[in-house]
Amino acid sequence: MATGTAVSLQNVRKTYHLGEPVHALDGVTLEIPQGTYTAIMGPSGSGKSTLMNLVGCLDTPTDGTVVVGGEDVTTLDDRERTTLRGTTVGFVFQTFNLMPRLSALENVALPQLFQSVGRSTRRDRARELLERVGLSDRTDHMPNELSGGQRQRVALARALVNDPTIVLADEPSGNLDTDTESDVLDLFDEFYDAGTTMLVVTHERHVAERAERIVHLLDGRIERVEELEDAGRESNATQNRRDGVDGTGAASGADR
Amino acid sequence: MRPLEFGRLAWRAIRSHRLRSALTTLGIVIGIAAVIAFVTLGASLQAGLVGDISPDDQRNLYGWAADPDTEGGPLAGAQPVFSQDDLDAVSERDGVDAAYGYMPISTQALVYGGELSPQSDALVAAGPPYIRPDTLEEGRQFEMGEREAVINPAVAGQFEENVSVGDELTIALQGGQQTTVTVVGITETSEGLSPFEGFEPSPRVYVPTDPYYTEEVESATGGVGGENASENGSSAGNGTVVGEDALFLAIVVQAESADDADVDRARESALAYLESEDSDTSELLGDELAVTMQTSTELLQQLQDVLDLLQSFIVGIAAISLVVGSIGIANIMLVSVTERTREIGIMKAVGAQNRDVLGLFLTEAVVLGIIGAILGTALGLLVGYAGTWYIDIPLVYPYGYVALAIAVGILVGVLSGLYPAWRAARTDPIDALRYE
Ligand SMILES: Nc1ncnc2c1ncn2[C@@H]1O[C@H](COP(=O)(O)OP(=O)(O)O)[C@@H](O)[C@H]1O
Ligand SMILES: [Mg+2]
Repeated sequence: MATGTAVSLQNVRKTYHLGEPVHALDGVTLEIPQGTYTAIMGPSGSGKSTLMNLVGCLDTPTDGTVVVGGEDVTTLDDRERTTLRGTTVGFVFQTFNLMPRLSALENVALPQLFQSVGRSTRRDRARELLERVGLSDRTDHMPNELSGGQRQRVALARALVNDPTIVLADEPSGNLDTDTESDVLDLFDEFYDAGTTMLVVTHERHVAERAERIVHLLDGRIERVEELEDAGRESNATQNRRDGVDGTGAASGADR
Repeated sequence: MRPLEFGRLAWRAIRSHRLRSALTTLGIVIGIAAVIAFVTLGASLQAGLVGDISPDDQRNLYGWAADPDTEGGPLAGAQPVFSQDDLDAVSERDGVDAAYGYMPISTQALVYGGELSPQSDALVAAGPPYIRPDTLEEGRQFEMGEREAVINPAVAGQFEENVSVGDELTIALQGGQQTTVTVVGITETSEGLSPFEGFEPSPRVYVPTDPYYTEEVESATGGVGGENASENGSSAGNGTVVGEDALFLAIVVQAESADDADVDRARESALAYLESEDSDTSELLGDELAVTMQTSTELLQQLQDVLDLLQSFIVGIAAISLVVGSIGIANIMLVSVTERTREIGIMKAVGAQNRDVLGLFLTEAVVLGIIGAILGTALGLLVGYAGTWYIDIPLVYPYGYVALAIAVGILVGVLSGLYPAWRAARTDPIDALRYE
């Protein structure tokens, strides 16, 4: 089983200057081992999205280092960062963010377009993923012809298309009702069981409780890390992985 | 990412705003259509005209007297100044093979077999060499001093029964007199035999200046001198006399060969005489008039120059239209980039490089440009085709310009798309994803 580190943040700071400097992240140190499921909670404005953007290589820190998939993001140029983002990270957003003029299948195939994967390979791969998220009968639907839950499942399929080591989900169920929410979260579990590293931002305790641990953010700092020893999950794969990372200080808050 | 993929995505974006895209390309369409239509007409006109100059005509010099400031084609502002004595003298000059007068004579009608066909400008009096052997379909040239005529197919086919060689034709002149000619030849086509006649096909009866013109002058009982000849020699009803002599509206000088040197020698020689004290012409020219003497090719060149000038003008207008078109595309592309900020953010989040985004938007602008160019070319060719059909000249498609038009479409697309595409590529994905 993979026991490497998927994401590592060392003393990360992100400061915005709007007249007065705003420390969106103020010294965060965090290790996320491969194949783990981490939830991030915290009040609005505590820096959750900022953290996701850094891990997702969309942004660079003002200070500190961010290592994703073994690469130090701060030393990469824009093009290299984009490549890393395209191949190593999969995004799931609260507002789904599907391309409105592309069908479900084309949306899922889109990330591979930018990796110069051939059209038929791309479509086969997209069809396979849509099947895995239970949408094989919706491949040619446009996003506006799909329900919220279906859209989020398309987005999840898209996030997985390049076989990322880590899936980032920023309040993925924020726009979903309870039933569709649990559908999507079940899928997260499924992909987690299959070995994908999951990092999920949420406001809601019951969503966070599906993870192995919850990182609580407050004012740009890690307030505490809550290990969920018994998350009510019985998967052997999970159990094995958890055993694998035990004692490695899976996630540690640096609160100074 | 491959160009084909760019094209596919660009095409989809364009199709999702059909009306907007169509209106955007309108400037390009109009600009390119204008150029293509005009160039098609120009090339066709040129081919039609140049095709009419036979090699045998290359040694003929066409001369007339007019105010040097007069603009226009052959015979514009021409005054009758050439006497028979001068013509005879010119034909004796060094380097001149023959010289004869040219005079359109106004008519009322042509009569054949009791059938009357009204014609006002069918009669042309000239010397026998005016009927070049290569222009004759059957029969022969008329002879000077004989009551003979060569007609063209437009006259021959005008009556119930076709006129053929050997038949007699009666001509009712403007003054009311009638004169009879024997048809000795029929030309191949009904197009003019010289630039004096213009190039459109029209019915013509060619007769020798003697007796027809000299006779008419005599019967006009000392007709008023100096009647203005109208452009293109359409009519010069009453003859003009100096002393007892008839004056011709124009002169045709035949050089010894079509060689440029021979043609120039004949021209210099003829002009030298006509402008010398010895000639009747020099007296009539006075201070206001000057003799122009040019070959068909040179006269066509003048027409070509006018055409070229007009063409530059149209190309200028088209260029403005293309600039407006480019601004239109640039504007729409900028709107499009703003509208799709979020989409750009999504694409970047899933791994699109800056150059992918740049290429995508640039492709879209180029596709718009190419669509405009193709529509413009099609429209232009259609208009050109309709134009050549209407004025009845052979159609020549300027293929080089079609390629050029497409190139211009691409160029316009690139130029107008560059800035919007650059803006799109530069979009910060985090901002873009937050964009509502
Ligand atoms: N682009 C920005 N410019 C200025 N301030 C920002 C920007 N992005 C985020 N912030 C600030 O950083 C802090 C953390 O924001 P964010 O990470 O979005 O919080 P959360 O996702 O936890 O609600 C907030 O105070 C926010 O106002
Ligand atoms: Mg947020």
